[in-house]
Amino acid sequence: MSDPDEDLELQALQRLLDDAFQATRPRVGFDDELWTRMQARRPLPNRIREAFAGLIQGIRAVPAIPAAALAAVLVVVIGVSVIGLSGLVRGNSSAASTATVGGAFDQAPQAGPPRAAGAFGRLPSPALSSVGSQAVVPAPVNPDGGTLAGQGSLTWIGQLTLNISSAPVYRYQEPTTRAADQFASALGAVLQGRPSGFLGTYEATDYTLRVRGTIQVPAAAPAYFVLSAPSMPAIKAAGAGPADIAGLFLAEHSLTPQWSYTVATDDSGGLLKVLFLRQLAVPGYGPAHVVDQTGVPYGIEVDLQGTQPVLASGPLPVNLDSAVYPIISVDQAVRLALASTPSPLAGPAALPSVALTQAELVYVLVPAGDHSFYEPAFLFSGTYQSGGVTHEKRVLVPAVDPAQRS
Amino acid sequence: MLADRPPFEDLYRDFLRRVYAYVRAQVSSAADAEDITSQVFMNAYQAYPRFEARNSTPAAWLFRIARNATLDHFRASGRRDKLRRTIEHQPMAEDDPATTAEERIQYRALLAHVAQLSERQRDAISLRHSGLSFDEVGTLLRCSEDAAKMLYHRAVKSLKESVDKAEATS
Repeated sequence: MSDPDEDLELQALQRLLDDAFQATRPRVGFDDELWTRMQARRPLPNRIREAFAGLIQGIRAVPAIPAAALAAVLVVVIGVSVIGLSGLVRGNSSAASTATVGGAFDQAPQAGPPRAAGAFGRLPSPALSSVGSQAVVPAPVNPDGGTLAGQGSLTWIGQLTLNISSAPVYRYQEPTTRAADQFASALGAVLQGRPSGFLGTYEATDYTLRVRGTIQVPAAAPAYFVLSAPSMPAIKAAGAGPADIAGLFLAEHSLTPQWSYTVATDDSGGLLKVLFLRQLAVPGYGPAHVVDQTGVPYGIEVDLQGTQPVLASGPLPVNLDSAVYPIISVDQAVRLALASTPSPLAGPAALPSVALTQAELVYVLVPAGDHSFYEPAFLFSGTYQSGGVTHEKRVLVPAVDPAQRS
Repeated sequence: MLADRPPFEDLYRDFLRRVYAYVRAQVSSAADAEDITSQVFMNAYQAYPRFEARNSTPAAWLFRIARNATLDHFRASGRRDKLRRTIEHQPMAEDDPATTAEERIQYRALLAHVAQLSERQRDAISLRHSGLSFDEVGTLLRCSEDAAKMLYHRAVKSLKESVDKAEATS
């Protein structure tokens, strides 16, 4: 007969094992990546058959957008940004940057493979901006991808091939003070207080950490801010560039991104900013940048003064759940982009013709109370000259089928 | 698709995490666990048309592939070395500090103790806590359901002794 206390201890150990196995999960995006690789390895006849079936289904599920529906679809023309004043230089992620390792938070609580299609129900529409939202008759689309007229001032002369008819929508639950405390604790920072607008402020040896939740308007993801103290040592690494220094700093503070990213630097201000631009996985397409309401990609930012990190900020790791939703076609997205109007703030004098030359699938944050979403969108962009300065125009078009949105 | 066989996508959705956790309990790094898990599902995807639901549950079938893939991994890279590294690796001195935090959160210390058990005991615990029934564990380990239960309970006792010993010396 075994000791009752020992039995209880064994049961507790079994419960702990249950928890340990339950908590052991692959990193964020691994399920999508693997599924995509598996799909790519299917026998060719299967792929052709399924592609054909998907095409038929797509035709049934995504009819051409009527003008009335167009009016309800939010199309946002993003204001221009002056490229000449921006030192933003995009670089490609290195092999190391895309080969992410297991993470502390984004990974551990990740909810397995994607849920069933449409599992989140009707999605909230991106509250990007009402600028440029207007009901118009869609411009004719040239199937050959040539120049398309749209609303007088916008044309599309680019080419975007998209072989998918659906894309994942990612969802997270609003982080609590407990989650913020856990994040800080894992970094070795101690809670100091909970000032208004923040989940907590924390102190570590040589920096202050602040954590806040989602901001509804303008939409901003839960974020952390590491403000270095004067005692923060400079990063010493012979021959290291700014991106290397920023990467070392993040690694030293357990903040290495656990998601795919590309690296960019911005030296337009007094500080050198190294940006680790976040990407989310889209099976059949690849990684798609997360962009703000103006179409600018974001992620973790490390501000450097020489080799001295001054500030680091980035999205607070949260559990991401995903479900697949049907998306509109490229042609439909082009129609909606061209139907948009330039910002009235720009004034009549600032309405030059703009040729949109680039398009990509991106993700935008859609705050929705307790749960918020990263929803796919089409980002169109093109440049034009005005007053001797090169500007960039960006147009964001929500990608999720309007029938799936509230 | 056969009527007695769910779509592979359902299997993938239901079992990816469990298979990953099972593999992760055996190997010393998340990268290895990803590689093996990938191989498991690649193999399973190819073999699924030949899967006979009346002969085995999907769980037992998948975990058999996972177990074989894990053993192949050990064989390929020198199992003894791997095991030694796994044991020496405690408490998981991963290079990446973020991974260290992950390991804390994910009960890595406990799973490291699991990794030190004998192969059969490790399998019994990993398979059982990955959601398999004792009947399925027994099938995979080529023993009866009762023998699988016995093996599992002995494994948990061994694990407890290992944990107690580590706590006493820390």
